[in-house]
Amino acid sequence: MKLVFYSGGDEKENLTLDHSFLELIDKKNPVITFIPSSSYLSEQEFKSFVRHYSKFKITRFIYFPIDVPFDKIIFSEVMRSDAIHMAGGNTFYFLNSLRKAKLLPQLKKFAEKGGVLSGLSAGAIMMTENIEMAGYPDFDRDENIVNVKNLSALNLVDFLFFPHFKNSPRYDAVFNKYTRSTDKIIYACPDGAGIVVKDDEIRFIGKCYAYSKGHKFNIN
Amino acid sequence: MNSIKKSPTDEVGKRSYTNFSQLNGEHPFKTQVPGGRVEYKARYRKGGKVAFFNFELAKEMGLIAKNHPNSLTPDLEREILDTFSLTIINEYDLMNDIKFAEEDIFPNTFMATRYLQLQHPDKMGRTSGDGRTIWNGSVRNNGITWDVSSCGTGGTKLSPACNINKKFYQTGDPSVSYGCGLSEVAEGLETLFFSEVLGKNGFKTERVLAILEYDKGIGINVRANPNLIRPSHFFSHLRQGNLETLKQVADYYISRQVENKAWEVTSFKTTKEKYYYLASQMARSFAETAAKFENEYIFCWLDWDGDNILMDGGIIDYGSIRQFGLFHAEYRYDDVQRYSTTILEQRQKARYIVQCFIQIADFLTTKKKKSLSHFRTHPIMQSFDKHFIDSKNKNLLQKIGFKKKDQDHLLKNHLDKVTRFRKVFSYFERSKSKRGMYKVPDGINRDAIFCMRDILREFPQLYLTRLNTLSHEEFLEIIKSSYARKSDLKLTDIRKKQINRFQSHYLSLITALEKDFNISRTHLMLELTMRSSVINKCDRVTGDSITYIVQKVQKLRPKLTAHELFELSQQFASYQNLDPDQKLVVANSPERHKNIMQNLYSIVRECREGL
Repeated sequence: MKLVFYSGGDEKENLTLDHSFLELIDKKNPVITFIPSSSYLSEQEFKSFVRHYSKFKITRFIYFPIDVPFDKIIFSEVMRSDAIHMAGGNTFYFLNSLRKAKLLPQLKKFAEKGGVLSGLSAGAIMMTENIEMAGYPDFDRDENIVNVKNLSALNLVDFLFFPHFKNSPRYDAVFNKYTRSTDKIIYACPDGAGIVVKDDEIRFIGKCYAYSKGHKFNIN
Repeated sequence: MNSIKKSPTDEVGKRSYTNFSQLNGEHPFKTQVPGGRVEYKARYRKGGKVAFFNFELAKEMGLIAKNHPNSLTPDLEREILDTFSLTIINEYDLMNDIKFAEEDIFPNTFMATRYLQLQHPDKMGRTSGDGRTIWNGSVRNNGITWDVSSCGTGGTKLSPACNINKKFYQTGDPSVSYGCGLSEVAEGLETLFFSEVLGKNGFKTERVLAILEYDKGIGINVRANPNLIRPSHFFSHLRQGNLETLKQVADYYISRQVENKAWEVTSFKTTKEKYYYLASQMARSFAETAAKFENEYIFCWLDWDGDNILMDGGIIDYGSIRQFGLFHAEYRYDDVQRYSTTILEQRQKARYIVQCFIQIADFLTTKKKKSLSHFRTHPIMQSFDKHFIDSKNKNLLQKIGFKKKDQDHLLKNHLDKVTRFRKVFSYFERSKSKRGMYKVPDGINRDAIFCMRDILREFPQLYLTRLNTLSHEEFLEIIKSSYARKSDLKLTDIRKKQINRFQSHYLSLITALEKDFNISRTHLMLELTMRSSVINKCDRVTGDSITYIVQKVQKLRPKLTAHELFELSQQFASYQNLDPDQKLVVANSPERHKNIMQNLYSIVRECREGL
């Protein structure tokens, strides 16, 4: 499986992650699909996304909002693309839309068949087992605006991902507490940092942190 | 009322709301066109509150300071109510000797203007005009003079009810609806949401400055525009052959246009030149408007009385305005006695209005009123026809996603290619369901079956990913709308040919730019992919969606402040702004607003292909 977890931040901060993303794709002028978390004003996000990746001489993009009706032609093209990027936003709304559009199994299949899947913030959380991290901790969480109950997501990795992390005792306290009652590791990444997964190999870009069994570990 | 009026401030030691005092009933039309209005005394109307105030528009008009916060201070609210909360003292009140407290009566009179309206039995404009509206006045800021009028301020003698039933009505009389002189808050909200969206998308339109609210959903809706004169203000005097008043209206209107620098030409050597320039401006505006209405599927009941539209083609009176999701070109509104025009008939009505203005120019110049048919082949009519087609071509290129520079280049150097594409585009756009004509809640319709936005949005990106065109089946799968039945989607030989033509003509435009500017095809298609995703976004507001949105907002309104309603209307308009070059500023709105907006988006999505 080829996955890239972006935390957030600007183009400059994510340059190394971008290179890793393109290395995983390993194709000249690939087709990249952009899935916004919500169609609301997402055309502008898509424009920024295209402008950014055009710098890497990529010219083939598919804009694929999933909370509006779509036809099977564009859908089949999405599934044939070389990479799919899931954007940031409200994670609960995003998950709800993916589920309503019956896209979760399709995206899983896409990744399992060798397509490169990347996600930023909410999009990255989507690749983990569930989106609990979006509602945690209380002082830094997405609002469950669609009241979604089933939080299970793509479940492509066995860790949890926390984006936009700020290294502080406040987070330490809550994540240490959280990991005392679970076997899962939380990888917390500040903006500009992230994780690259290639089959069994996991690579951390930038300064990342891990919380496991009530302890914190610095990575990089 | 006057006794409670103070000098409110929003900055320490500095008066800021003084410009409101210009909206006191005085208006140049009153003196310049005495035969074009009736005047009413008015009294302060108690029990009102401000449901909505358009802070940005008020800043543009100079009514509040540029740095005024977008919140309703007690002083500002009082100023708004003192200025706009009024009811006229009408003929019924005078005949029945109804007494009002002296301190509640405004010092100046307010005018209701006379204009032609089809609904009136005399059909000459002697009795018709503002039936429940008065003009508050005008205010000048940054070189622009704005007209302000208020709807729901009491029944005038120019209302249809008065003249059909030959009696005067007390304001609020429940036995007549429109004729009672009142308006509803819901009407103001409908105008607000619709006009803000259309305004953002390049339509000329009236704007809502404020909505005042009273018991039982009754409201006063305050509108503003740099010039609120309609063609029907001319037509009543034209029909009556009243040269003097017609000349006064024309001179008044032209002087305002010149004053506002709304026209390129600001001085005229002769009166003949002046009036023919007016006619040519009408041709230009109405050709552009009729073309834009067709391209954007705007249903605006244009008719020969010209009372549903402003002189510059701006939209006024949103009661019968609709935006369709598809080109439902055979929809007709059922107005009990008759059916409305269709979108496609709007062009002929616009043309007729222009012809009337040539007749007016001639009448004013020669002082002899010739028959309208005399001007059928006048060069200005030919310029209307040419400008209409030019606008249609330009609008289509814009819709595809071409930048202005490319649009101009294609129109100038490859008009044949543009025309060919427009023809095949029209074939699909105008394809109708085999279901035939049927009744819809407020009229009749025959469904359009193809969604052109979908194909314009998807074609460039699918072409880029495959570097190949679509198969016939794929093309139909993308373009079909929810209105299409299986029988509507048969792949006949003609349809196959048209699908081929659509794609090859589209690509011929790309090839032309590729060659002329030496730009790569992929670069052009990528640019179109991005721009078209904004212009042809899946969710687009329709008349139905506005109706449901207003219902939703009405339910929420008891808990919404005027400031919150303003924020929501602005966010909604931004969301429906289809300008691919807009600089987006995402508002940091509270969670509650986000939830409300999500609801509004769902409504737009649900109704995206409807009426």
